Amino acid sequence: MKVLVLNSGSSSIKYQFIDTDTKIALAKGLVDRIGMAGAVLSHQRYDGNNIKIAGEILDHQIAVEYVLGVMLSKNHGVIDDKKDIDAVGHRVVHGGETFSGSVFVTDEVVKVLQDNIELAPLHNPPNIKGIQACQRILPDTPQCGTFDTAFHSQMPPKSYLYGIPYELYKKHKIRRYGFHGTSHLYVSNRAAELLGKDIKDLKIITAHLGNGCSIAAVKNGKSMDTSMGFTPLEGLLMGTRSGDLDPSLILYIMGKEGLTLGEANTLLNKHSGLIGISGESSDMREILSAVKDNQQRAKWAFEIFTYRIKKYIGAYAAAMGGVDAVVFTGGIGENAKEVREEVCKEMEYMGIELDELKNQNAEEIISKDNSNVKVMRIPTNEELVIALDTAKIVSEMNK
Amino acid sequence: MQEEKLRLEDLLESSQSSNVDDDRINNVAIIGAGIMGQGIAQTVAGMGLEVILVEIDADKLESAKAQLTETIDREIKRWAMTKSDKKAIFSRIKWETDPNAVKDCEIIIEAVQEDFDLKVSIFKQLDKIANAEAIFISNTSTLSLTKISESISRSSKVIGMHFLNPVPKIPMVELVKSLHTSNETVLKVKEFASRIGKTPVEVYEYPGFITTRAIVPLINEAMHMLLEGIATAKDIDTALKLGYNFQYGPLEMADAMGLDEVLTWMETLYKTLGEPRYRPNPMIRKLVRERKLGKKTGEGIFKYDEHGNKIN
Repeated sequence: MKVLVLNSGSSSIKYQFIDTDTKIALAKGLVDRIGMAGAVLSHQRYDGNNIKIAGEILDHQIAVEYVLGVMLSKNHGVIDDKKDIDAVGHRVVHGGETFSGSVFVTDEVVKVLQDNIELAPLHNPPNIKGIQACQRILPDTPQCGTFDTAFHSQMPPKSYLYGIPYELYKKHKIRRYGFHGTSHLYVSNRAAELLGKDIKDLKIITAHLGNGCSIAAVKNGKSMDTSMGFTPLEGLLMGTRSGDLDPSLILYIMGKEGLTLGEANTLLNKHSGLIGISGESSDMREILSAVKDNQQRAKWAFEIFTYRIKKYIGAYAAAMGGVDAVVFTGGIGENAKEVREEVCKEMEYMGIELDELKNQNAEEIISKDNSNVKVMRIPTNEELVIALDTAKIVSEMNK
Repeated sequence: MQEEKLRLEDLLESSQSSNVDDDRINNVAIIGAGIMGQGIAQTVAGMGLEVILVEIDADKLESAKAQLTETIDREIKRWAMTKSDKKAIFSRIKWETDPNAVKDCEIIIEAVQEDFDLKVSIFKQLDKIANAEAIFISNTSTLSLTKISESISRSSKVIGMHFLNPVPKIPMVELVKSLHTSNETVLKVKEFASRIGKTPVEVYEYPGFITTRAIVPLINEAMHMLLEGIATAKDIDTALKLGYNFQYGPLEMADAMGLDEVLTWMETLYKTLGEPRYRPNPMIRKLVRERKLGKKTGEGIFKYDEHGNKIN
């Protein structure tokens, strides 16, 4: 089955056209600056054929039209007819408590997504726009949604409830939702494959370290706990987000600095994390080069970043009653060997022994052969999960 | 990688229709690059709409650009905004000295000083330039919109939008209907207000609307107390801030608004409503005569440093 996977952001749409039988992306690309001057579509075909198209891309619907246009084009395309797209799979950030897995998109599903806007005000509206654009342009093509929150939806109450009055959970759905679920799901399953074991027999800690960072305790194939919470602000230190902190300091800072609620939100989401501590950059590559130059604040940023991950690994190992594998993924997890090395340092007591050379060479299994806990570096592939889920739902419906 | 300037139609033999919602407002012109004009421009551009900011005086336009840069940089420094917010805002504002630049805008907002003749002459000029469907908005806080709108042909498309300073931070706007404003105009402007993040409050045309009419006597009364020596300026503000949970005291608020502005409002309200409670206090007259206009001149009721911070 050939599935078009769309990840619609507020001013961009990322797409991949995936053949789910061969698991190969036939084409992928990005429409950027939607609704702004300088809007552009960058498209890449499986054979390396590349093109950039500038245009007046006023909204998500026109962006999807551009994507179809380039996919159908004689010189750069991969299909002859719109009908060659068997299904569309959408990444949706927040499924709230309603969705525990990928779903076939109906009007009712869209309605539930709209009801969840309050929970993900930045992410769900563009996701919905992407869905609606496809409903109009590809009215006969089945569409499915895969949720960032779905994989974590089976966490036990002890993981998802906060220590605040229970009524607030009932009234406002305040609980831990967790994010990056598709990535944690993909890499934990891939880890089981690499170990040659059934995931139902494994305890895996997966660290998705990218622009946003989260870590999950995957026990017997299910997410038991994860570091991101009600919003993607909680947990690990990130490029521009603070991660865990004492909630009362927010009120204290607001008073001292005269910040409004919205401004405090900007402070914690955009000015904190690596950039806030280092004063240099939110990009781990630049932090690492500043560390080499002996810049103290960059060193602290690096240390806080890795120390938090280490603490969570300890916590999740304790929570699961052990750990069989630790997986690094995401831009930083896959590419920053220094981060993996620092996190795994002095963890031999709990059976984590990193192999320096394998780590340097960025192999898939980077722990020593005799390490009790296997350490892995697995490139994530959320689009493939979305495509496979979509294909599964659609083929079951066609039975 | 090849880079081509292609349109969708070039890729496809038969182009799909692009059903862009025609009613949607995408281009907004703002006339006058003072504090209000800058604030409205920042707000509208910040919400993703294209803005043309027209100021016929080239020097004023340049200094407005510098002021807006400084305002946003200050917000970045106190962690309330980001550099990418700034970049996005400036990429959407076109700075123009030629009023003809507004011809394709769907909404034109006038934010010049509170002078009836000036506003009328601007609207008359724009009436000839602008698209016939364009809505004209006045940011007046006290003047009669009905009278302003009667001076031009599109009186049903004239409406008041009274923004409060600092525009990006005040989440409310008063929508002021004149006798001639059509329902269609009201609906469109309401939607526009929501789109730029403001809660619209509908007001019938009456001097001072809600906000100015209520705040002016409070400021006047606070100045009377100061003049009568009942308390210091700081203590009057503190009492009202802490006592009634006001974010700002009335005296520092007057300084921030500009004492000349406040005096103009008082005079207009006194003239049109005739009640003595609007009669300007002698102190504000004196301060305005001395050009001590508040924060913008470094001294008003309080004194300010070059960054606009109050000196205790």
